[in-house]
Amino acid sequence: MREESRFIDKLKTYIVYAGPTTFVFFTVIILPFLFGIYLTFTSYDGISNSHNLVGFANYIEAFKDTKFLASFLLTLKYVLYTVVFTNVIAFLFAYILTSGMKGQNFFRAGFFTPNLIGGIILGFIWQFIFSKLLVYIGNNFNIPIFSTSWLADPVRAFWTLVIVSVWQNSGYMMVIYIAGFMNVPKDLLEAANIDGANAWRRMVNVIIPMMIPSITICLFLTLQRGFMVYDVNLALTKGGPFKSTELISMYVYNQAFLSQKYGVGQAQAFVLFLVVALVSVIQVYFSKKMEVEA
Amino acid sequence: MKFKKTFTVFLTVLIMTLSLSGCSKSSTTNNSQTQTEKKQVKITVMNSKGEIQTQLEKMAKAFMNDNKDITVEVIPAPAGQSPFEKVSSLYSSGNAPTLSMLDPGDIVKFKDKAADLSSEKWINDSFDRSLDSAKVDGKVIGFPFAVEGYGFIYNKELLDKAYGGNFDASAVKTQKDLEEMFKKLEASGVGSIIVSPMDWSLGGHFLPLSYSTQSKSSDDVNKFIEDLKAGKVELAQNKQFKGLMATLDIMKKHNISKSSPLSGTYENGPEALATKKAAVWFMGNWAWPQIHELDAENNSYAFLPVPISNDAADYGNSEIPVGVTKYFILDKEQNSQEQQAAAKKFLEWIVYNQTGQDYLVNKANVIPAFKNITIESQDPLAKSIKKYMSKGKTLQFMVTLPSDHWSKNGASMQKFLDNKIDVNGLAKEIQEYWKNIK
Repeated sequence: MREESRFIDKLKTYIVYAGPTTFVFFTVIILPFLFGIYLTFTSYDGISNSHNLVGFANYIEAFKDTKFLASFLLTLKYVLYTVVFTNVIAFLFAYILTSGMKGQNFFRAGFFTPNLIGGIILGFIWQFIFSKLLVYIGNNFNIPIFSTSWLADPVRAFWTLVIVSVWQNSGYMMVIYIAGFMNVPKDLLEAANIDGANAWRRMVNVIIPMMIPSITICLFLTLQRGFMVYDVNLALTKGGPFKSTELISMYVYNQAFLSQKYGVGQAQAFVLFLVVALVSVIQVYFSKKMEVEA
Repeated sequence: MKFKKTFTVFLTVLIMTLSLSGCSKSSTTNNSQTQTEKKQVKITVMNSKGEIQTQLEKMAKAFMNDNKDITVEVIPAPAGQSPFEKVSSLYSSGNAPTLSMLDPGDIVKFKDKAADLSSEKWINDSFDRSLDSAKVDGKVIGFPFAVEGYGFIYNKELLDKAYGGNFDASAVKTQKDLEEMFKKLEASGVGSIIVSPMDWSLGGHFLPLSYSTQSKSSDDVNKFIEDLKAGKVELAQNKQFKGLMATLDIMKKHNISKSSPLSGTYENGPEALATKKAAVWFMGNWAWPQIHELDAENNSYAFLPVPISNDAADYGNSEIPVGVTKYFILDKEQNSQEQQAAAKKFLEWIVYNQTGQDYLVNKANVIPAFKNITIESQDPLAKSIKKYMSKGKTLQFMVTLPSDHWSKNGASMQKFLDNKIDVNGLAKEIQEYWKNIK
C-alpha cells in the first residue's frame, strides 16, 4: 500500500516537473522518428493522399544504389579527415592557449568565432574565397595551384569541404579541450615534474589520461557532425562539380525530394542513422573504458 | 500547501491544453475568421520564380487596391529549392498556399489536391497547346503563367561590329556558320561565347534539345523518351544527339572560360555580356532582368537557335524551344470556398485587367500565354521569342522530364564540358539514367 502511494507520488512529481518536456519530446522527436521508419515500408511520394505498404522493397533499392554506397564511402573519407584534423588542431590550440601566453583570451575568442557563423553563410564566404579571391591572387602572383578555382576540381573541392569544416569546428572543440586542460590536477603535474618527467612524458602519461572525458566528447561531436554535415556542403559546393562532393546527407535529401523517391530516401536515411548510432556508441564505449580517476 | 499543489497541477494542465490547441487544424480557424471579419479573405501565392518576387509583390498590392476585401500574400520558394519541395512541405504542415506556381512536370502529382479550372474564362483565350501539360484526366488544373524560351542570347551591337555592318541572325543556320561567327567575333577583339556550367542549364535546357529535335511531332518525341526509358536508344549513334554534342564541342573550343570551364556561375553570364568579354551566352529570356541591370543602354539582344548539324534545313537549326514553364495550381483541399473564389478572381485579374496585364508583361517581364494580351513587351528577348513564335519556328520545350533529370544528367554534362568523359561516355551515362526511370 505504501509502495503504491510512493509510486503515485513519484509519478505526480514527474508529471509536474518533466511532463511538458516529455510530451514535447515525444511529439516532436519520437513520433516523427517512428513515423519515418514506418514510411520506409511504404510507397509514399511526399504528397499523395494514399500510400501502399511495400515491405522491404525500399531497403533493397537503397542497397542496390551504387551511388549511395559511393557517397557513403566519400562521407567516411570526409569524416576521417575532419575528425583527425579538427581534434589535432583543436588540441594543439588548447595546449598553446593554456600555456599562459600573452593575449590568450583574445585568441580563444578569435578561434571560437567561426563556430558562431552559420554553415550556410560560412559556405558562401568560403565559396567567394576559393573561386574569386584565391584565383585572383593565383593569377596575379603566378601561383599555379590557385590559378583555377578549387571548387571546379573534384579532388580539390573535396579538400575545400574538409578545410572549411575543420576551420569551423576546431574552435568549438578547442574550448572543450581548454576546459579539459584546466581540470588536470596541478599536484599530479608537480609530482611528475619532481619525478623528472619531461614535457612529452607529462603529456602522454599525465595530461592525456586525465583528459579522456574531453576527448570522448570532442570525438563524439566531430564524428556526429561529420556524418550529418549538410549546410557547408550545400553552400560551398552544392555537391559539385558533377556530384563528386555529394556527401551522404545531401544525397539522401536529393533522393527523397529531388528524385522524389521518398521511401528510398527515407530508408537510406534510416540506414545512415543506424551507422552513425553504431559508430558513436562504439566510440563512447571504448573511450569511457580509457577514463581514469585522479 | 494543499492549495499550492492544486495550483501547480492546474497550471500544468493549462500549459498542456494550450500546447495541444496549437495543433488544431488551421483551416477551421480560417473559416471562422472569414465569417467574423466580414468577408475579408486572405490568399497565399507561392512564387517559384525568384527573380520576379518583388514584382509579384507589387502586383499583389495593385490587385488588393482594386479588391479591398482580398489580401494576397506572396511567399517565395527559396532559391535552389524546387517548388515541389516547398509545396509538399507546406501541404504536410497544413498551410497549403491557395495558388502554387509549379513546374509542369509536377502538376500531375497534385491532381487530387488541385481544383478543376476547366470552366474558367481564360481557358478560351490561352494559346494552343499551352494547356497541354496542365490537363489531367481531361480536366485543366493549371493556369499557364509564363512562356519561356532559350537559345544563344547574342549582343547584336558586337556582332554588327564583327561583321562590319548589319549582322543577319537568320544567316547563322549551321554549325559551320556558328563557328565562323565565333571566329569573326574573336578577330574583332571581343570574346565569343560564355558557356555557363550550371547543371540546370546544361542538363535541363541544353541536353533536352537533343530530344525535342528528334521530330516535329510531339508524339514522336514522347515515343523517343519512352524508348530511352526502355533502353532501346543508342544515343551515341543518334544523329541529333551527336550533332548537339558536336555543337557543344565548338562552344567548348571558343568558351571564354575554357581554362576552368566548371568554375563559372550564373552571374558570370550577364557580367561577361555587359563587360563585352563575350557576345553570346546560352540562356533563356529569364536572364533579361540581370542583363538589363548590368547593360541598361543596350536593347539589341536577341536569340539565335542552337544548330545541330551542317544542313540548314534540319529541324532545330532555325527553331528555338518555347513553352509554358510555370503553372499555377489552385488548392481545394486546405483552402475555403471563399479563398478559392478570390484566387480565381486574382487569375482573371492578371489576364483581363489592364493593370494586371501591365504588371505581368512590363514589370515582371513575363511572356503571357494568352491571346487577348496585346501589350507589347519592352524586353528584347521576349520580343525575339515572340518573333519566333509568330513564324512558327519553335521547338517543344521539354518541360515534363523527370524531376531529377536536370540534376543527374547535368552532372554528366559537366563532366563532358570539363573533358572528363567523351561523347560516348556521356551517351552511356545518360542512357543509364533513363534506364532507372520507371
